[in-house]
Amino acid sequence: MKNDNPIVLKLTNICRFFGSVKAVNGISMEIRRGEVIGLTGENGAGKSTLLKILAGIERPDSGTMEINGKRANFRSPNDALKAGVGVVHQEQSLFTNLSVAENIEQQNQMQTGMSRLGFQDWKRINEDASEVLKKIGVKLDPKARVGELSFVDRQMVEIARAVCVEPGGDGTPLIILDEPTAVLEQAEVEVMEREIRKLKEFASVIFVSHRLDEVLRICDRVLVMRSGMLTRDTSTQGITKEELFRAMVDDTPTLNTHKRSPVRPGSVPAVELRNLTMEGRFKDVSFSAYPGKITALVGTNGSGRGALMRAIFGAEKFTSGSIHLDGKLVTKWSIGKAVASGLAYVPAERKVEGMIGGFSGTRNITLVHRGDSAWGQILRPRRMAKTAQSWFDRLDVNPNNIRQPLNQFSGGNQQKVVLAKWLNSPSLKVLMLDHPLRGLDVGVSQTVNAELRKACENGTAVILIPDTIEEALEMADEILVLRDGEISARHDLSASNDLAIKEIVAEMV
Amino acid sequence: MSLLSKIGQFSGWHTVAPPLVFIAMLLVVGTFNSNYLGPLGVSIATASAAPILLVALGQSMVLNIGSIDLSNAAISLFGAIMLAMTLPQYGIGSLVLVLVLLTILGAINGAFLAFTHVPSFALTLGTLGILQTAALVVSGSETIYVSENRELVTILYRSKVLSIPLTFWLGVGVAVTYWALLRLTVIGQHMTAVGKNESGAILSALPTKFVKIFAFALSGFTGGLAGLSIVAQAGSASASGLGSALLLPGIAAALVGGTSISGGLTNPINVVFGALTVAFVPIAIQAIGFSAQSQSLVYGVFIIAVVTLTTTLTRGLVIK
Repeated sequence: MKNDNPIVLKLTNICRFFGSVKAVNGISMEIRRGEVIGLTGENGAGKSTLLKILAGIERPDSGTMEINGKRANFRSPNDALKAGVGVVHQEQSLFTNLSVAENIEQQNQMQTGMSRLGFQDWKRINEDASEVLKKIGVKLDPKARVGELSFVDRQMVEIARAVCVEPGGDGTPLIILDEPTAVLEQAEVEVMEREIRKLKEFASVIFVSHRLDEVLRICDRVLVMRSGMLTRDTSTQGITKEELFRAMVDDTPTLNTHKRSPVRPGSVPAVELRNLTMEGRFKDVSFSAYPGKITALVGTNGSGRGALMRAIFGAEKFTSGSIHLDGKLVTKWSIGKAVASGLAYVPAERKVEGMIGGFSGTRNITLVHRGDSAWGQILRPRRMAKTAQSWFDRLDVNPNNIRQPLNQFSGGNQQKVVLAKWLNSPSLKVLMLDHPLRGLDVGVSQTVNAELRKACENGTAVILIPDTIEEALEMADEILVLRDGEISARHDLSASNDLAIKEIVAEMV
Repeated sequence: MSLLSKIGQFSGWHTVAPPLVFIAMLLVVGTFNSNYLGPLGVSIATASAAPILLVALGQSMVLNIGSIDLSNAAISLFGAIMLAMTLPQYGIGSLVLVLVLLTILGAINGAFLAFTHVPSFALTLGTLGILQTAALVVSGSETIYVSENRELVTILYRSKVLSIPLTFWLGVGVAVTYWALLRLTVIGQHMTAVGKNESGAILSALPTKFVKIFAFALSGFTGGLAGLSIVAQAGSASASGLGSALLLPGIAAALVGGTSISGGLTNPINVVFGALTVAFVPIAIQAIGFSAQSQSLVYGVFIIAVVTLTTTLTRGLVIK
């Protein structure tokens, strides 16, 4: 490890308080050129605030920051850009109605200016964009409209944009990646790793992630934050996930993998698909999900898993094939019928599809299955509140305020409420979740997974699209691999526990 | 935090602002000419507010689901004409008939919206044109005077409680009913959910198509009541007479009453204050002494100022 490279970033005792909340409390650290630093910690540990300070969005209350040897006092994100700090945010900030090149050029304009006499120099804009895209190894048409790209491709454009910073002189750019792999599939994560290795040649990188395996694999050093302070600052050589856990949380959580038993012969599947086809998305998909078992669908983006789940839920129409519930064929399928038959669906896009942000936790939880929360058409506020409160307590939602609008909660707690909405069903036959742990920290993920297991014990069949293959291996009884809309492999985990991740990735691409 | 941003952060603003604005206006009018606040003044103001209120209530229910109904004033005028024509022959039965008819017309609007992808703005613009023509054709472009049974309806206008005619109290009654509907019933909750996040509502298995039909049906129904109040006041109905220009005041009243134009935030009781405020503006203009010619200008400036005040600043980054 080269220890004599120039220091790119030096923080000394940076503090940022919000009233009595010490979001960042005395952080000191150093990053040298060519280093990839992992930054991890639970939601609420202060990572986002620290990043905002580095990006010029927030100003520290005390402490000093030096970038490439010069004192830095950012008054706006523009100052950060000029100093050579490029950030790829977790929430996308692209202009969806503009092209890829225009979005990339946005950043550049502040540096070099792409206009001659005020007119856009399209040829150069597109050429420069192509160069950047090539540099980071991404195949995208610079003229493509960003709004029409998939989430993943948009993430790539964000990275291209961030890479465009030029600190001037011989300063080193500092690229900050905020949960870049949260929405990437395995094959794309490898692309990301390659990119980061390329970035090391001319920049330094801060890699923020909850995925400890990736952090240990990709980064040279790892910093762990807890309650606004740094609890570990160490090389990634020789450190284990458990040690990182301990630095992140107050108590040591247990990573358990439950024992799996095979399906009893003759049992009726909760849901069975026969040759289900949706034109352009998936073809000839046949499988069975049994009560009390977890089926994981793995595959790359575009493999059709999301569409498959929505077809089962009745949210999208399939072209041919059939769906059978409890052995009976379903006809003229719709969401209303699906929910009445005991199906549930937790979408990947939580804010837009999973919840009603402006509604309180109470109204969200009692939205689908009212039970005794209403006398026919008349709502019963006290019963609603009682139901909501018991779910808030059981899932440890924070803050424990059932009347607060859900959009004021953090992502992890929103997800708990969304899950509660579906668990609140009188008879939950099939629970489908699309990327349920996306963006969630360790503690919340464990709560969610524990609830999924509880649901299984109660006889629910769970179908899961996991974020990582590790998640699938930890949770599932059966793993189905989809490639280009068709099932390319099935793995029954009750039979064998020795599955190599590489083997599954090979079946996905 | 500056005082202005503290004001903006107060989340109860959109609940409290409409009545406050109305009281402020009353104070202004009273300062200039307290005669306008006497029993006669109140009676005149609330009488003109009544049809605006009823139209605004229907509109606020449609706005609540994230749509807009540009045809509801035309529906109510059409209803007024139908009522004026059938009242002599059928008495009270004609009122029932007209209300049912208008509710169905509203439901048809809603059904088109639910089953086609035409946005409500365009759809109801079309319905507006159709109904305006229908009103002219049915009335033969003449004023229809209610020849018999007039007392059955004009009693609503002439009977007053606290100097306020029953037509206005009818509006208040509808406002309270709609308020209860939105807060305390399942269908009301569904309507608000659709307005706040339609995708989320669809994926929560809410009957969104029915919700749309229902909201527009309510708009048609209240439009019918507005038509009733027009006939009650004028004893007649005409395609170009009283009530022919209710669309924009109705929308303004809904907005001044704190209704969000993007959906999901409607308080029918505040719409009462919104309608009173809108009805009072011409009176305030007169009381202050602005010329009649400047009325439109003052009206416009005022509406913008008031809506800015009553639109909550904490609602989010995107305001349509």
